[in-house]
Amino acid sequence: MTVQSPPAPPQAPTAPAADPGGRRFSRALAALRYTPGRLRGLLAVLVVLILGAGVTGMTAILGKSAVIEETTTQSGRLSVAALELYQALSQADSTAASSYLTAGTASEEARAAHQEALRDATVALTTAAGEVETAEDAQLIAELNARLPVYTGLVESARTFNRLGEPVGATYQRQASTVMRSEMLPAANTLQHNAINQLSEARSAAAAFPWPAVVLTALALGVLIWAQLWLTGRTNRVFNLGLLGATVALIGFAGWLTLVALASASHTDRSHEDGAEPLELLAEAHITAQQARAEESLLLIARGEDAAAAERYAEQTALLIDDGGLLDRLGEAYGDDPALSEPLAEARESAATWSQGHDEVIKLAKDGSYTEAVDLAVGDDDQSLAASFDMLDRKLTEATRISADRFVSATGDAQRSLSGAAVGLSALCLLALVSSAIGIQMRVAEYHA
Amino acid sequence: MIRFRTLWAAALTGCLALTACANPEPPPSPEVEVPVPLPDGIDFDPDIGSDPADTGCDPLASYEPDSIGAAEAREQLDDPDRVVVGISQSTNLMGYRDPVSGDLSGFDVDIAKELVERLVGSADDVQWVPMTSGEREEAVNSGRVDMVVRTMTMNCSRWEEVEFSTEYYHAGQRLLVASDSGIEGLQDLTGDHLVCTGAGSTSPRNIADDSEAQPVTVPDFNDCLVLLQQGVVDAITTDDTILAGMAIQDPTLEVVGEAFSEEPYGVAFAKGDTDLARFVNGALEDMIDDGTWQEIYDRWLAPHLGAEPPDLQTKYQDE
Repeated sequence: MTVQSPPAPPQAPTAPAADPGGRRFSRALAALRYTPGRLRGLLAVLVVLILGAGVTGMTAILGKSAVIEETTTQSGRLSVAALELYQALSQADSTAASSYLTAGTASEEARAAHQEALRDATVALTTAAGEVETAEDAQLIAELNARLPVYTGLVESARTFNRLGEPVGATYQRQASTVMRSEMLPAANTLQHNAINQLSEARSAAAAFPWPAVVLTALALGVLIWAQLWLTGRTNRVFNLGLLGATVALIGFAGWLTLVALASASHTDRSHEDGAEPLELLAEAHITAQQARAEESLLLIARGEDAAAAERYAEQTALLIDDGGLLDRLGEAYGDDPALSEPLAEARESAATWSQGHDEVIKLAKDGSYTEAVDLAVGDDDQSLAASFDMLDRKLTEATRISADRFVSATGDAQRSLSGAAVGLSALCLLALVSSAIGIQMRVAEYHA
Repeated sequence: MIRFRTLWAAALTGCLALTACANPEPPPSPEVEVPVPLPDGIDFDPDIGSDPADTGCDPLASYEPDSIGAAEAREQLDDPDRVVVGISQSTNLMGYRDPVSGDLSGFDVDIAKELVERLVGSADDVQWVPMTSGEREEAVNSGRVDMVVRTMTMNCSRWEEVEFSTEYYHAGQRLLVASDSGIEGLQDLTGDHLVCTGAGSTSPRNIADDSEAQPVTVPDFNDCLVLLQQGVVDAITTDDTILAGMAIQDPTLEVVGEAFSEEPYGVAFAKGDTDLARFVNGALEDMIDDGTWQEIYDRWLAPHLGAEPPDLQTKYQDE
């Protein structure tokens, strides 16, 4: 929206021009030599300035509102869906591997978790499909959709061969994990990053201060005050009620606009710092843990004969628990947070227990005590690594829920801080317009009376 | 108030124009290829070495048993009452851990159990150490295991690293194909056929030398079976013992053709553990003479590779 500059100041009259446009212009200029003409010119300037301030202010507020609406709807929903998809897929992968490795109740439990994870993944994929706006994201969704049945087919083949006691089941399970790890998870990850980028673009737009509107309001106020001083000097009347009303309305307008802009920016920042940032970090930690768990199971499924799986486990674990790793960063950033510190500390503890237990599993497997190694890794007693992994998983989920609630409440606050502002601001802007028109018309009328 | 109205009109038109421009084109429909799951590290055009095989030795010739007794052989064990044996846990029929019972079973495992029993008196005094084929040399020489019984082909370059027993099985490279594929041997393979095999073995080289087919390598030959079942490759080639272990998992597959390589399997020991090798050679000779070897063959391989076992050549170095 472009802002019209105020008309040029009155100039010396020029020679009458031949064309009608020129004549009208010179007539207008001539009129400015007399007070009623000057008053009308003043009104025109005021109308343009107040309207400009009103329109730019309104656009800014409506734009912010739309952007916040978008963070809670389109890109918000897309990033939440992409995150859920990424998590559900990693979880499907690790539970499928655990279920393959175990027998009896533990296997059935892991399988039930696998089926839940697959359901979550398909629901998230459907939600994401409804929200995508770019061709790149649509392509990613299509790739993921095309691979999901291939993945489940491989998992089910693995399960069937395993039930028949055929060793090729292990290869199918590994193949399924390869599809997941090297094709599906990277696509889900890219989708999530795209959604988060869209979200942060929206956020910086929502936090921007409406400078044009504030500058125009200040200019309008300046002209109004000058006009009142000028009129006082000319008419010996101290107050022009119309112009005074317009001044008050405009001051109210400027104040309200500034307050609303600052409040919504602070709520949006809070939604980012207390919500989006920890959510992203927590999700990353969650997914890394799931991946490490999947590799641990794969290593045992391959009967300890998969050096690549051992390497990948070590990589994921290092990302998670090393100095400067994800849990470390979470602890540094949110360790003082009253609600988050407890689940985060427990998550770190469980991760440490799990990692120590893993070394024991590897030692057992290397020494040929394969059955004991499997029991320790995925068995259903309290000493099993399944217990410490589940604890880690639960604590990260708890922290994620807290951050998600904060994100929702902060965006809600930002939205609420804007509610009514659009209507109120346009009312004030109209009031200023009408009052200044009345105030000036009253003076003009005195000349014609 | 005419200005007022024109201004509103202008603003409105501007807004409309803006919304019209902001309305995006619908994105084009995504295009996705049919996904084919492939294992990590698959190579459709493997680099096949051209170095001539080292034939400067007789890989079958091991140490004469002489009169080495169990007591002398046990001195070369880390723990004289317990034998640590390197095996495979993932090679069906040869060395495999049953997912239901959790027990190790297979031809290699039974041979090893028999050797352990003759060496320390009881087949229970054994510790099994699972390992990949790439770990075998390092495992014996570092003392992690006392011996390796894991489908290990004896050849001259390996003889430089480790000691071997005499031959305990004579395998050969063959083909595993779908029964209705029409492929009955190397002569039926054309340039359009993809033949899967494990990377880092002599199998890709052999298939490339002896046929027109294009070798495809994977890091773990178990992946080949999945690729064959999914129709990505047309055949698998490796030792017939391993192929038999794959064939029994799928009734639509069969092992075809004559063997086109010699794969004499030996038990591997650390370099210098010749007393252990001598004792095992004696034990192997006994097992062949007293029918134990035949029994183990009948149990594991006869149903899949024929009732007639391959000829074993027991050869000793002239010293």
